[in-house]
Amino acid sequence: MMKPEEILKLIAAARGTAICVPTMTTGPAWRKLAPDDLSVGCVGFMGGASAMGLGLALGAPDRRVIIFDGDGSLLMQLGSLATIAGAAPRNLTHLLFKNGVYHTSGSQETPGGPGTDFAAMAKAAGYRSAYTISTFDDFKKRLPSFFSEDGPILVQLITGLAESTPMTAGPSTPFHQQVAELRAKVGGAR
Amino acid sequence: MPESVPSSLIIDAFKEIFQAERRGAKRQDPLGWIISVPDTHQKSVLAALDKERSLRVLTCSTEDDANAVAAGLYMTGEPVIVMIQHAGLYASVNTIRGISMDGKIPIFYMIGLLSREKDKDPKDSRHSMVRFAEPLLDVFSIPHARLEGPDDVKLIPEYYRKSRERKGPAAVLVGLETA
Repeated sequence: MMKPEEILKLIAAARGTAICVPTMTTGPAWRKLAPDDLSVGCVGFMGGASAMGLGLALGAPDRRVIIFDGDGSLLMQLGSLATIAGAAPRNLTHLLFKNGVYHTSGSQETPGGPGTDFAAMAKAAGYRSAYTISTFDDFKKRLPSFFSEDGPILVQLITGLAESTPMTAGPSTPFHQQVAELRAKVGGAR
Repeated sequence: MPESVPSSLIIDAFKEIFQAERRGAKRQDPLGWIISVPDTHQKSVLAALDKERSLRVLTCSTEDDANAVAAGLYMTGEPVIVMIQHAGLYASVNTIRGISMDGKIPIFYMIGLLSREKDKDPKDSRHSMVRFAEPLLDVFSIPHARLEGPDDVKLIPEYYRKSRERKGPAAVLVGLETA
């Protein structure tokens, strides 16, 4: 099973000037890998990473936007797949870390469990392309294309559990501070 | 007695807000973004927006989506207005709290009071969705005003500015169906 932290390390090395939108269990590891960069975390408004990433992609069409979504999180705003498909931003990569459980609350299985196919849902919603990756080598090989091909694309990553969650990790930069910092870096120059 | 507000006045107000926001900016296209979950009460505005080439309307699946999209656009410096219905306000209170209030993101909402009776103050409406909208905004300390006729269109830029000044949500409720 792929480790989320190993996936994030590869992303950190390859993302260039992309804006990243981590949510839930990708948040703590991403903060260590990419502190003070072009990222804004989604915690406290359940399932909002996908739609917030869409807004960033539409507002910054000259940059790649990468969403680090979770399966439980996406289920909370599943309609965002159609919203994203309708807006069709070419610069949006939607990575779905699928561990099959609600990790932060004690690893209860998500509705549908491992059988729920988010790549099929994204494709049916109208994403330009959608893939499922279950081995680290395959992810490593295909990563450059995920950040360069026309979006919106969704990549369903079959992963194990992260080492820490927002509940077990230490305090993070408050959301409003992340918003202000990202706007100063990205919005201020427009 | 309240009156309907013509869609043209509302769209002119949107454009003036966006023109002021875009002054001196490199990006001018679109002039601004309307993020919408279609509201029956404001359908004449939505129909007129369809013909506006300078504004980009993005229809969202839910009001949760609309709030998060507006937040993303704000972070990139883009000017945004969110158009929803009172039922959508109820549906998305956690997202408004988490994004606009806790995130200190200025989001301006146009909220339609569908089924509001012309001869009644909303607090006396027999429809709970009309009756509770303004009290709910009060609970969250969200500044709000109500369009009750064409003269009230000036409230749109005023409350848009309020959202910017307080770095949080502000709303104008649409009292009667727009004309």
